[in-house]
Amino acid sequence: MTNGVAELENTDTIFIIGSNTATAHPLVATRIFRALEKGAKLVVADPRKNQIAEFADLYLQHKPGSDVTLLNGMMKVILDQGLQDQAFIDANTEEFDGFKALIDGVDLDACAAATGLTVDGIEQAAALYAKAGTASIVYCMGITQHTNGVDNVKSLANLSMVTGNIGRESTGVNPLRGQNNVQGACDMGGLPNVLTGYQPVTLGAASKKFADAWGVDELPTQIGLTIPEMLSGIEEEKVHALWVMGENPVVSDPDADHVVKALEKVDLLIVQDIFLTPTARLADVVLPGCSFAEKDGTFVNTERRITRVRKAVEPVGESKADWEIIRDVSNAFGFEMAYDSPEEIFTEIAELTPSYGGVSYGRLEGDGIQWPCPTPEHPGTPFLHKDGRFTRGKGLFHAIEYKGPAEVVDAEYPLWMTTGRVYAHYHTGTMTRNSVALDREIPEGFLEIHPEDAAAIGVCDGHRVRLASRRGEIETRVSITERVEKGVVFMPFHFEEANVNKLTNPSFDPIAKIPELKVCAVAVEKI
Amino acid sequence: MEYKTTLTTCTYCGCGCNFYLETLDGKLTNTIPCKTSPVNEGKLCIKGWNVHQFVQNDRRLKKPLLRKGGELVEVEWEEALAYTADRLKAVTAEKGGDAVGFLASAKVTNEENYLLQKFARAAIGTNNVDHCARL
Amino acid sequence: MIETIKQHVAGLLTEKKIAGFLGLIEKNGHVAPHLFKDGESLAGFTLGDRKTAGDARYPLNKTLVTLSRAYPEETFGVLVRGCDERGLYGLFRLNQLTEDRVIPVGFSCPAELSEACECRKPYPDSLVAGEKTESSQLKKVAEMDGKDLARRFDFWTAQFVKCVKCYGCRDVCPMCFCKECSLECEDLVAKGDLPVEVPVFHLTRAMHMADRCVDCGLCDEACPSDIPLRLLYKKTAQIMDTDYGFTSGLNKNERSPLSQMGPAK
Repeated sequence: MTNGVAELENTDTIFIIGSNTATAHPLVATRIFRALEKGAKLVVADPRKNQIAEFADLYLQHKPGSDVTLLNGMMKVILDQGLQDQAFIDANTEEFDGFKALIDGVDLDACAAATGLTVDGIEQAAALYAKAGTASIVYCMGITQHTNGVDNVKSLANLSMVTGNIGRESTGVNPLRGQNNVQGACDMGGLPNVLTGYQPVTLGAASKKFADAWGVDELPTQIGLTIPEMLSGIEEEKVHALWVMGENPVVSDPDADHVVKALEKVDLLIVQDIFLTPTARLADVVLPGCSFAEKDGTFVNTERRITRVRKAVEPVGESKADWEIIRDVSNAFGFEMAYDSPEEIFTEIAELTPSYGGVSYGRLEGDGIQWPCPTPEHPGTPFLHKDGRFTRGKGLFHAIEYKGPAEVVDAEYPLWMTTGRVYAHYHTGTMTRNSVALDREIPEGFLEIHPEDAAAIGVCDGHRVRLASRRGEIETRVSITERVEKGVVFMPFHFEEANVNKLTNPSFDPIAKIPELKVCAVAVEKI
Repeated sequence: MEYKTTLTTCTYCGCGCNFYLETLDGKLTNTIPCKTSPVNEGKLCIKGWNVHQFVQNDRRLKKPLLRKGGELVEVEWEEALAYTADRLKAVTAEKGGDAVGFLASAKVTNEENYLLQKFARAAIGTNNVDHCARL
Repeated sequence: MIETIKQHVAGLLTEKKIAGFLGLIEKNGHVAPHLFKDGESLAGFTLGDRKTAGDARYPLNKTLVTLSRAYPEETFGVLVRGCDERGLYGLFRLNQLTEDRVIPVGFSCPAELSEACECRKPYPDSLVAGEKTESSQLKKVAEMDGKDLARRFDFWTAQFVKCVKCYGCRDVCPMCFCKECSLECEDLVAKGDLPVEVPVFHLTRAMHMADRCVDCGLCDEACPSDIPLRLLYKKTAQIMDTDYGFTSGLNKNERSPLSQMGPAK
């Protein structure tokens, strides 16, 4: 997030797109509810009418995958009506003219047709966002999990820059991070192209600094493989060993049957987890890690706030903290690691990572610290890009043309399917389905379907159906609801026995390599 | 009698709520949201309130498992570590560091992610490190 | 005030009248529930006032029930405000705690907190420190009653639909201890995705609170959607008071009329 969560409380207009906020990020919804109490306007755009949409001043039920069209339409209205912040654009951005040329060519009637909305709806959304004193964009995986996910995000950046809603309190472009420490995993260089703090692996100086600190002659400087590339690398016999720490790709990744085949094929599969997950069941060796409650460390939340994780109980059985397991394997491998505590590791991280330079365990007592925090005196950074100062210098406009989803509905697979979370479960359910109260709350998966579609295949609420895509098929029960439009179905992905990711499309965004989990074509039939 | 409250950060979504894990004689008994946390101000969602329940669940893995004769069987740490290191050495020697891939995790701590990518880059010599940021 | 309490507790611990004292401590830059087992550890003791009076209160009685179940022979001290003590009386009456195994250490709330809570009795009987603060009037309930039925209904519907079904109102409640909870009974409250079944979920809980709620307000503070639950439960408590002359925990030995068989008194 460019801005802090609490800042949302004082925003004049909140624009939520592709986020089921009340369900997936309830404590962010808290701030949105408070903003509404204070008179804020809320615009929600989502193919599924989720709970937060109930509170919207304007709800736009656009077609899955049509986000760029909607956003370009809004920006067309903004430029046509002169609602842009020209002073901000002139002072702080680049490439506005090319962007404007593309937007000038946008046809609002065509936008309305492609999104399934009305021109009036698009105009109202544009006015509510652009006329606000402060406007925040909140988005989540509904924006990113598309083959044009990067385009979607760039379009949101365009929208914020064209109205000057960035670099000030209570504005910004605010992706809600879906996992407790996805921010930290990225910050720590858990990516194929960067070391800690986003220092590129291809940059000689950074590479040398790390090589020196780690006591090796050199580090690899070629960008590595992403998860989908590792899986295809296994098939092509380029990747022969895979070490999976605390992930469950068999349930979380698209086209699950394909994932299983790759994991069965790889010569060596090492899985480190706390339960015997469907992924761990395929392993050659399973190393029992321990949960957050059994170890010390730090997590980074969606607003870049680093806070402490503290050990409450001893690890169960002979399980070990994951840092101990890596250390022990490394030592057995012959690369010496002599850490005695997570704090020691953190000190090394702070020394090598400019944005963490001023952070220490001592300073994390109390409220924690929002990075960047380069020095011990630095208070941390609640919001980024202050006064229009972007990381790269000036904010760059991108002219984004709409590209449709990789897979579209046809006679054989006539329904659009989108996926998401429910309030009582988390991701692949490894933890929540092993929690008594949560399992009792929602014990099984379901398919949300519009009443007319349900009638067409002859099912009532609770009936079981077979759901198929070009990649596989599953069985589940139906929940009939008008939350989804006719022609669109929704299914949560927490349930391995009705694993919706057997159906989802592994096609991915060419830049971010994020798969198109939010759109695919399916067929449903009564069992 | 040992009753303890431990302030920590939630392991579920990216909100990063703070709460106390309540323990009595080494057993987790309850989760209590931290009233003074700037993030959640004494509030939690249903997952947060019940976060202590999975930790000491019977189905947790308690020993390393190694595939022998097609089945995963419990082994001692020493054997599991030696196996893992030896097999990694063999793959790296035969096929090179880029024949190994690493999935770091949005579930584990910063310190642990840091160590895994350090091992991948410095010991194995590959940038094949990724995690489910995209999922 | 805090020094008086510390001295009192240190005395109880030294004389071995209690196995431990359940109170609040400053640690990690925050306020946490804590079991003090000796006088020395009392250095970090706090009353739970941070930015405003009483803003870092915790459901200590709930923890006390857990401790007492594990150690039924031990006697514990516990830090109480007026509302907490009403809770203790309720828990004695409902056989969740044994009176002679609990030593309440009470202190009074300041007038500002009493007013914010609209508290009927902002001090405990077992007052160790502080003066008996004056009780406050129920203004918010009267204000709500002044609105017509349609507006009240709209107000509450709009509030309930915000619910994210965390069950925090129940989980934080020192008076909720049932092993089986009506809120989880599918025959009463429909299950499925959010929002919850309106208004059944919240009204079921309100009914159950009528003769239980001790007006501590922890539910209000725990609600991620800022639903004014306390106001709702104050209303049900008011009905109990007006119609049956009963207020939960106000008189130590009084039993709820809802748990008595036979003709009304």
